[in-house]
Amino acid sequence: MTVILEIDLDKCTGCGDCVVKCSMQAVELVNGKPVMVRPDDCDYCTECETFCTTGAISCPFEIILVLPEDTSEEE
Amino acid sequence: MPSRIDFLRMIPYFTGLSEEEIKQVDKALVERSFAKGQILFLDGEPCQGLYLVGAGRIRIFKTSEGGREIVMLIARPGDSFNDAPAFDGGSNLMSASASESSTVYIVPRQTLVSLLGGCSAGAAIVNGLAARLRHLTGVVEDLSFHSVTGRLAKLLLGLAVAEGKSASVPRLTQDEMAAMVGSVRDVIGRVLRVLEKDGAIRIEGHRIMVVNQELLRNMV
Repeated sequence: MTVILEIDLDKCTGCGDCVVKCSMQAVELVNGKPVMVRPDDCDYCTECETFCTTGAISCPFEIILVLPEDTSEEE
Repeated sequence: MPSRIDFLRMIPYFTGLSEEEIKQVDKALVERSFAKGQILFLDGEPCQGLYLVGAGRIRIFKTSEGGREIVMLIARPGDSFNDAPAFDGGSNLMSASASESSTVYIVPRQTLVSLLGGCSAGAAIVNGLAARLRHLTGVVEDLSFHSVTGRLAKLLLGLAVAEGKSASVPRLTQDEMAAMVGSVRDVIGRVLRVLEKDGAIRIEGHRIMVVNQELLRNMV
């Protein structure tokens, strides 16, 4: 899975709340700023976005239409 | 009691008209009287023109499929209504009924068009504003009549793009979805889970897959 979580380092204060809230330990502070160190472990629960008080973390969702003929490709 | 010409001059659309133009509008006016409670026109019907209130009060409203009503305007003497359809030529955007015994004047659309004097830029601006008004009325309608589930279902249906098609796949955070449907992030998170449980969508990491459009349409 390609994780597209976005971290705005200009808004980030380095408080570390996102690291604490990440139940998958996918985010760590590196030089005082959060970095997605284990992207494959991220389950995109969006808790980091919820608890980031400065709005530095965004977890956008892609909205994809699955057409009937696409079903076979996914199976 | 002002003359009809003086009355027309008080209407913002007509204040700047020349003597000749205002007489042209006056000549085209259709006067109608309505008893209290009488319907002037209904949402979706062909538009008769721009309505001006001469006397009384006119209630302008939208009605949901379930029969709920939202009053958009109580038009009083000197007010105009049914503006967007009168200018863009589309069907009536709302319904109107007389709150009391009332007199209205109807300016036919053709008269309004002729006042533009064939100015294509002016016509384009007016049509653009009318389209914006129709869109905003739809937003008010959605917020008034539909649940958050219905509004989110409508948003997802409107935005979802098949992968590999020419249009780029839209990306929205839950905060952005909340802002677009007049709700808050927590509620959006809960509704997304409900939609997934119902089988309308499937959430795979950062992807919201619309897997059952028909189910979503039924929720709108």
